[in-house]
Amino acid sequence: MAAPCELFCWKAGLGLPSVDTDSLIVLAYARFAGAPLKIHKISNPWRSPTGSLPALRTGEEGSCSQPSQIIIQLRKQKYNADYDLSAKEGADTLAFISLLEERLLPALIYALWIDSKNYVDVTRRWHAENISFPLNFFLPSRMQNKQLERLRLIRGNASLESGEEAEKELYRDALECLNLLSQRLGSNKFFFGDSPSSLDAYVFGHLAPLIKIQLPNCRLQHHLKHLDNLNTFCSTILSLYFPSEGPEGVGRPVSQAQQGSDSDNEPYKRRKQLLSVLVAVAAMLSYALFTGIVAIEHVREEEPGGHASLQGPVHEEEEE
Amino acid sequence: MSLAAEAFVSQIAAAEPWPESATLYQPLKEDQILLSDSASSLAVQTFLRMCGLPIQVTCRPNAEYMSPSGKVPFIHVGNQVVSELGPIVQFAKAKGNSLSDGLDDVQRAEMKAYMELVNNMLLTAELYIQWCDDSTASEISRPRYSSPYAWPLNHVLSYQKQWEVRKKMNAIGWAGKNLEQVYEDVSQCCQALSQRLGTQPYFFNKQPTELDALVFGHLFTILTTQLASDDLAEKVKAFSNLLSFCHRIEQTYFKEHDRESSGSSRHSKGSLP
Repeated sequence: MAAPCELFCWKAGLGLPSVDTDSLIVLAYARFAGAPLKIHKISNPWRSPTGSLPALRTGEEGSCSQPSQIIIQLRKQKYNADYDLSAKEGADTLAFISLLEERLLPALIYALWIDSKNYVDVTRRWHAENISFPLNFFLPSRMQNKQLERLRLIRGNASLESGEEAEKELYRDALECLNLLSQRLGSNKFFFGDSPSSLDAYVFGHLAPLIKIQLPNCRLQHHLKHLDNLNTFCSTILSLYFPSEGPEGVGRPVSQAQQGSDSDNEPYKRRKQLLSVLVAVAAMLSYALFTGIVAIEHVREEEPGGHASLQGPVHEEEEE
Repeated sequence: MSLAAEAFVSQIAAAEPWPESATLYQPLKEDQILLSDSASSLAVQTFLRMCGLPIQVTCRPNAEYMSPSGKVPFIHVGNQVVSELGPIVQFAKAKGNSLSDGLDDVQRAEMKAYMELVNNMLLTAELYIQWCDDSTASEISRPRYSSPYAWPLNHVLSYQKQWEVRKKMNAIGWAGKNLEQVYEDVSQCCQALSQRLGTQPYFFNKQPTELDALVFGHLFTILTTQLASDDLAEKVKAFSNLLSFCHRIEQTYFKEHDRESSGSSRHSKGSLP
């Protein structure tokens, strides 16, 4: 048992233990392996030690950010969920992870970040509500740009915005991948028998957002609803390994998506009120200053004020 | 390949038989082609040989720009043009030539997964070594890639290509890796393939599939291509069953074919399910 590790990942929301695929993978793996991590669920990627989420900070080896790197780090500390796998199953794990990354991930990115209706109604909305104040204005769109760029480079063509055609192609690949996964899983509880492994963590990380987040516009979700074993697989993992986030998570996204923002959570409301009052006061004061209703004067002993001498303690006076 | 074109292709393709004049286009074999393109091209040729479909290989310096998807190789069959292994496999299937019909659902899922593994790790590693390792890029990749072009254009094109590949590596998180880590990934991938193959003649026992064609294409090219260092080939050579696998396919589909071309192609077609 080395020094305690700290895991930074995206906070829970939209009915998931974390909203981000990579964070979900790492969280699930840590639970599967029983690693005692100190988990920080945050909504500001700039507060992570590597500048992106998820990130693992270990005592002696610094920090790392990619899920595969994090899993290797955890393995080094003897938290290994793949201990029981045969060499061939290890090979299968690698192969199916590639399948997920090549086929399903692009469609997932597309559904969450590029499809404009989903992005505006769900993704940007959630991020704007949960990222702290000044960042929430530009971080979501920066993240979107990054994802768009990534998708474009993965697919290797520049014509992504053209919509329809690209979407169909992505979704066709993803549908095939979902079918293959469903066939591979069959009636098993997990991919390799009765205990979960790193492959299960990866599949969970990619599927759970598609199953749990209610997207207004996604053909992939309709298709996924028919693949019962994959649905059961995700809900088993949620109920066994994330019991605390489970029950209330299912109901929340629906209510959030359908009702307006009036049912927002309390702490933000108070802060927003305070902020708007401050902004209003600042606006009124500056208006008053500029139009000359209020003037700032320096009240020194004999010097007449009026000049814009900006040093010294500022004193306000009203003159009619 | 776009969807509309694909629907069209699968409709038309079924009707027409495979013509004798089918042609595969790739960059110049001696002076221009790079490891990754050469591997992809060999994979397609192997696949078509396994199906018993005759193909002529034609080298063109501008093959990359002729291809509908911008990637080589592509085949020209009748009046259709199809690029890359995945679509070509579908195209051949539409014409009634499939290698994976005998597999059950789970096996087919596994086959697809391993094909993605090869694309995801081996192909990416090849691209990384070609364009992101500075000595390989300056000694081999850039001069070869731009060999058909005259002075200012050759530099422009090769640096443009290099920039493109590096950006892609950035996007998939490989930019932070060093050469050692990439070799380790290749090793890991070969380890997985070797485990999967075991002592069987092909990945799914007796009959070859498109996975065998893809793996052969990449491994054989890695083994036979001279790079700045031999490290990459050494990684593959550590797995004896993969070596004999390459040897076996080379013997079956390339040596024999050249000796009695028409006879063995009919034979291999006959042995399919």
